Parts: sequence; structure tokens; C-alpha cells
Amino acid sequence: MLPFNYAILQLFLRIDEADTGAVMEQLENAYQKSRQFKKPVITEALMTAEANGLLEETRYDLDGEQRLRVFYRVTDEGRAMIETYIGAVEA
Amino acid sequence: MSHQLASEQKAHQVRGFFIKGITVAALSGMAYGLYSAFITYAMGEGVWADWYGENTMLSVFVVVYVLGVLGSGINDLMSAVWALGIAGVKGKLADFFRCIRTKPGVIMIVCAVIGGPVASAAYIISLQMAGSIIIPITALCPAIGALLGRFLFKQKLNARMIAGILICLSATLMIGWSSLQEGSREGAILGCAIAFIAALGWAVEGCVAGFGTVVIDYEIGITIRQVTSGIVNLAILLPFVCLLAGNIALAPDLTFKAFASPPAMIFFIISGFFALFAYSLWYKGNSMCGTALGMACNGAYSFWGPFFCWLVLGVFFKQDGWALEPIAWVAAVVMFLGILLIAVNPLDWFKKKDPCTTGKVG
Repeated sequence: MLPFNYAILQLFLRIDEADTGAVMEQLENAYQKSRQFKKPVITEALMTAEANGLLEETRYDLDGEQRLRVFYRVTDEGRAMIETYIGAVEA
Repeated sequence: MSHQLASEQKAHQVRGFFIKGITVAALSGMAYGLYSAFITYAMGEGVWADWYGENTMLSVFVVVYVLGVLGSGINDLMSAVWALGIAGVKGKLADFFRCIRTKPGVIMIVCAVIGGPVASAAYIISLQMAGSIIIPITALCPAIGALLGRFLFKQKLNARMIAGILICLSATLMIGWSSLQEGSREGAILGCAIAFIAALGWAVEGCVAGFGTVVIDYEIGITIRQVTSGIVNLAILLPFVCLLAGNIALAPDLTFKAFASPPAMIFFIISGFFALFAYSLWYKGNSMCGTALGMACNGAYSFWGPFFCWLVLGVFFKQDGWALEPIAWVAAVVMFLGILLIAVNPLDWFKKKDPCTTGKVG
């Protein structure tokens, strides 16, 4: 099992784009018991990855409950970095 | 309408992230000041008062070098205990053990050795060799860190940010000015060269480990840092400097006596607590703001250090000699302006554009 932050970043190697909600859906089975499995924690991890060039924003909108959804995809540099330091294989 | 609402929420989120990053980085500098004040107090209590006292049985070499390494090692080990406890409470302990077996974990360990024992030892040795003239050299670490961030991780570094870093550097020089006038000692040039190793070590740590907390959770990152630094300081560096002092048996002897001195250990537990936040928030601030801004905010410790030494040691414990020079307050204002210049473009305010937000509607 990968550390939680690693799993969030590695997920972007397998999907075109995702927002916080999509990340939670994808990682729910493996990490839902983790005390780190919280929306603000994941949102901050995604924004930090974007601030450092691993992810880039693709679009944003509001969901059915008028809550903000920001979608990200992995950059070329981010892909190379995640493959080098975390690995591309799902744990 | 929904696009406008989404844009407003997005701008609010980006602004919140930006402000949190700066707050975290600034708090790291304050925590560093508190850690400095309490470790200074700890190293004057209990058995340490005998070691540093006029009737000490220890040689000058041991008092200067060995005790410095021992104090730093005990502080980092106490900090590691806090870090492990907090990681446990927050359910991150399993991730800590997973991370140390991975490439980013190993990089974090290497950064901890470079920024911990290597840079700290270089700082202590250079301070002894050249005196406080080395302080402006070690204050170069935010500038070096910003350059490393630019070249290693392609982080933003423009003329405005460089100007801000130079303003912060000048503020640090203002604080250290009185000590600069003490005059140079023999061996000052070599001391300055060794001080540059300390600046380089902290710059590498701030830049690489800061970026590393994009991958590794910052609380796991700091646990790796403090466990590594505490163990390397006490198990490797301390015996090494004791060997240089001609008596390797001093290492376990002094370590045991230090741990068996409750009046000092209470304050090492407190200093270790603040050291935990000094470093963890430094890493997190650097990853959220970029190395240039993060290290400039953290670099305000050159004000917070003397400030909290005055508040804790001078005002609270009523020790003499900790009064804060008026120039320090002026320097704090100058430093604030420098940080502001790195963080935001003042011209954006005149253009009535929020300098804290960016974004595009999808």
C-alpha cells in the first residue's frame, strides 16, 4: 500500500483529469479508513502539486449543490517525476 | 451566473491557499525564534550550568564544539519524539514507515543530514572560528535557496523577487550590524568559507525538502527529518567530535548526564516542540509558496530569534543581556516590506487587480 500522498499523485498517471471528489471516489476502497482521507487534505495536496508544476488545472465549475469543483491533469514534468520517484504501478 | 459564482469561489480558494502558505511560512520563522530562546535557556540549566560555568572541568574544545553538538542532538531527538507522537495521533505513522523505504524518503533523509548535522556543525564551527561576522553569510541561505529552486525545479524568480530577497538580506545585516563591528579574528577567512557550507546546506534542505513535501506529507517529512538529525547528531557526529577532543568516552558520559538532568530536559522538551514547527512549517511554506517566498518569510527568524530571546530569557526569566536593539524593530519593518515585494507585485494594486488570484473558467 502506498503512502496516501503518493497514491493521490500516482492516480493522475491513470486518469485524464480529476477533481477532489473524483480522487476520493477512486481511492475510497483503499484509504477510506485513513484519518487523512478528508476533502480539505486532498484539495490542499492537489493545489500544492499544481503550485509546484506536477499538476495543471484544466477547468472548474460548480456541482449540483453549487460547490466548486477544480479539475487537474498531470503535466509532462509531473508525469516524469511521479514515474521516477513514486513509480507508475498501482500498489 | 454560475460562471460568475464559480469564478468568485475559485478566486476565494486561490486567495485562501496563498494566504495560508504565507502564514505557515511566517509562523515557521516565529517557531524558530521560540526554539532558539528555549534551547538557549535549556543549555544554561542543570548540569549544563556546571559545564559552561567558570569552574568547568571541560576543555575549551569540548565546551565549544562537543556541547554544541550534544545540545543540538538532544533538541532534535526530543523534536523527533514530538513528531512521532503527533504522526501517531493523526494516523500517519504507517505512512512514515512506508515513506522511509521509498526514493523521496531517502532524499528527505539526505536533506536532513545536510541541513541538520552538517549545516549545524558548520555553523557552530564557523561561529567559533570567525565570530558573528559569519551571520550575514549564513543569512544568504534564502537567496541561495531561491536560485536552487529556479534551476532545480524551474520555480518563478524574477527581478522583483530578487529585489525583495536583497531587501530581506539588508534587514538581516541591520540586525547583525553591531556584532559585525567586533572586528575579525585570526582564521576568519576559513571560518567564513565554512559558514558558506552552512548556508548552502540550509538552502539545499529548504529547497529540496520543501519541494519533497509536494510528494511526502509535511508532517511525515518532518518526522523523517528530526529522527534522522537526532540520531546522526548523537550517534555519529557527537562521538566524532569527542574523538577529535581526544576522548571518545565523553560521548556516552555527557549524553547520559544531560538526559539525567531534569531542569534542563524540561526545556529541551519545549525547544524540541518549537523546533518541530520551525522545520515542518518551513517545508510546508516552501512547498505552498515556492522556495523564494517561503524562505524569505522563514528568514524573518533573524528578527524573531532576538525578539523571543528578549521576551523569554530577558522579560520572563529576567536574565540580563537580552535587550532588543531599536534597529531590530526597524529591520523587522524593512524585512516585512521585502517579503511583501517577493509575494505580490505592488503595481497590481494600482491596476486594481487582486494580486493574489489567478484562474480560468472551464
